[in-house]
Amino acid sequence: MENSIEVVEIQKTFQQQTAIEDVSFQVKKGEIFGLLGPSGSGKTTTIKMLTGELGQTVGKIKVLGMESDQIGSAEFKAKIGILSDNSSLYERLTIYDNLKLFCRLYNAPMRRIDAILRDVNLHGEKSKTVSKLSKGMKQRVLLAKALIHEPELVFLDEPTSALDPGNAAHIHQGLRRLNEAGTTIFITTHNMEEASALCDRVTFLNHGKIVELDRPGELQYKYSTHAFHVETFDGEQLVINNTPDQAERIKELIATNQMKAIHTDEPTLGQVFLKVTGEELV
Amino acid sequence: MNVQRVSAIFEKDTKDFMKNTMLLMMPVVPIFLALLYKQMSGGEAFPTFLLYLVVGINLSTVTTAGMMTMMAEENEKKTLRGLIQSPASIVDILVGKSLVVGLMSLITLIVSLFIMGIEPLLNLKSILAIIFLFFFFLFLGIGIGLFSKSVAATSAYIMPVMLLFGFTPMFELLGISEDSIVIKFADTFPVMQAIELTDGNSWLPLGIIAIWVLGAGLFMYVCFKKTMTDD
Ligand SMILES: Nc1ncnc2c1ncn2[C@@H]1O[C@H](COP(=O)(O)OP(=O)(O)O)[C@@H](O)[C@H]1O
Ligand SMILES: [Mg+2]
Repeated sequence: MENSIEVVEIQKTFQQQTAIEDVSFQVKKGEIFGLLGPSGSGKTTTIKMLTGELGQTVGKIKVLGMESDQIGSAEFKAKIGILSDNSSLYERLTIYDNLKLFCRLYNAPMRRIDAILRDVNLHGEKSKTVSKLSKGMKQRVLLAKALIHEPELVFLDEPTSALDPGNAAHIHQGLRRLNEAGTTIFITTHNMEEASALCDRVTFLNHGKIVELDRPGELQYKYSTHAFHVETFDGEQLVINNTPDQAERIKELIATNQMKAIHTDEPTLGQVFLKVTGEELV
Repeated sequence: MNVQRVSAIFEKDTKDFMKNTMLLMMPVVPIFLALLYKQMSGGEAFPTFLLYLVVGINLSTVTTAGMMTMMAEENEKKTLRGLIQSPASIVDILVGKSLVVGLMSLITLIVSLFIMGIEPLLNLKSILAIIFLFFFFLFLGIGIGLFSKSVAATSAYIMPVMLLFGFTPMFELLGISEDSIVIKFADTFPVMQAIELTDGNSWLPLGIIAIWVLGAGLFMYVCFKKTMTDD
């Protein structure tokens, strides 16, 4: 399958401090790829390198078939959409006027404004002044701004970090629809639930290094103890290994009507991160 | 440079200007001064240096301060980053903004000079001088705007620009001796050279103003290079 992003052994050094060290990964066309890590782990720095806002100190980056010398060109910028960590809007202007500016800068047809406003559920409020909007609404306008030109690849830097669960769910819904329509999504987050629910594949970044990369389900399986947690009607809690020699035991519990509940013991993605790094995700 | 993108920036900044009380106050200063002088003159024609004083105040408050404020606000509110992430180049952005500031400066200039009597400046020399002065003040505004991180910070930068370059003709009124080094030096400043150009027979002052424009252009370029290489 074609790759939208290819990163080979990149490194980024600020003055003395190494922010990114020996990072390599690929993002497949059409997938939702999550870059996960605590604050300061290097997520924003990675996005800035992928979008051409920062140059890498060492290593190779290829995005949409373009190499470092083309990344950051007007042609490149027209193909990607960005929702940065501290993006903002023109507060004195209306939602419509904000989007109109970017519609014209990206040379997108004007009818896109109404279409994208409907997608982010703001069609009724387009003549509202941005300064009067709630945080969640502003974030939706910013998402609309990032998508106005129908980019084939979008970069979202913690798009829901400041939002309540209702607004976050709204954005997740929009992102899933967008992905179904074929857009590749590169998202950073420190919210593990968001990542499990949304991403096809995730990579864990810790102190600028990649510590894991796989499908969320695979990572959970990999770090589980492969045992079942069983509760009987007598109130007994049993741990039964998922091995052939234990099959009879489980069968018997069911046959004798003692099985109240049975769970696998896969850790959540957050617990996996904790196991891999020994650090909490905050 | 891309015409559609420049016009998109121009349209956005015009709307934003109209809703920004701070920017809207800027043209009020020179127009108010023009009215005040008119009131005090009792109908007599103004000496050239007073006309150019109003031109200098005009260009330093509307052109330089306006440009600085617009750019500083884009920096402060992080909206500049959104523009830079789009296909718009920094040149598109600067030209779009310059057109807004240029339009506002032109309107203010015409209004205030009409109040005072524009006739003494309606000749090729004076018009060229004013156009050159506009670019001098514009380049200063862009240069300072590029590195201004907040609107509050620009007020510290605008004072020296206004005092040195905008209000230069006022030095004449301070009663300092004609031969003093300060006055001799101030006489080479752009607005003073414009007075010289309008009142005298030589074209040389236009050349001196052009040197000032080049200097301001160089200053702008250095500021641009510096901000672009900041990681
Ligand atoms: N412009 C910069 N200059 C110096 N250090 C920086 C700069 N940007 C980021 N860093 C450092 O790089 C590390 C990673 O930062 P960042 O990418 O913002 O992390 P995250 O987005 O995961 O919170 C941090 O230690 C941060 O202090
Ligand atoms: Mg970040």
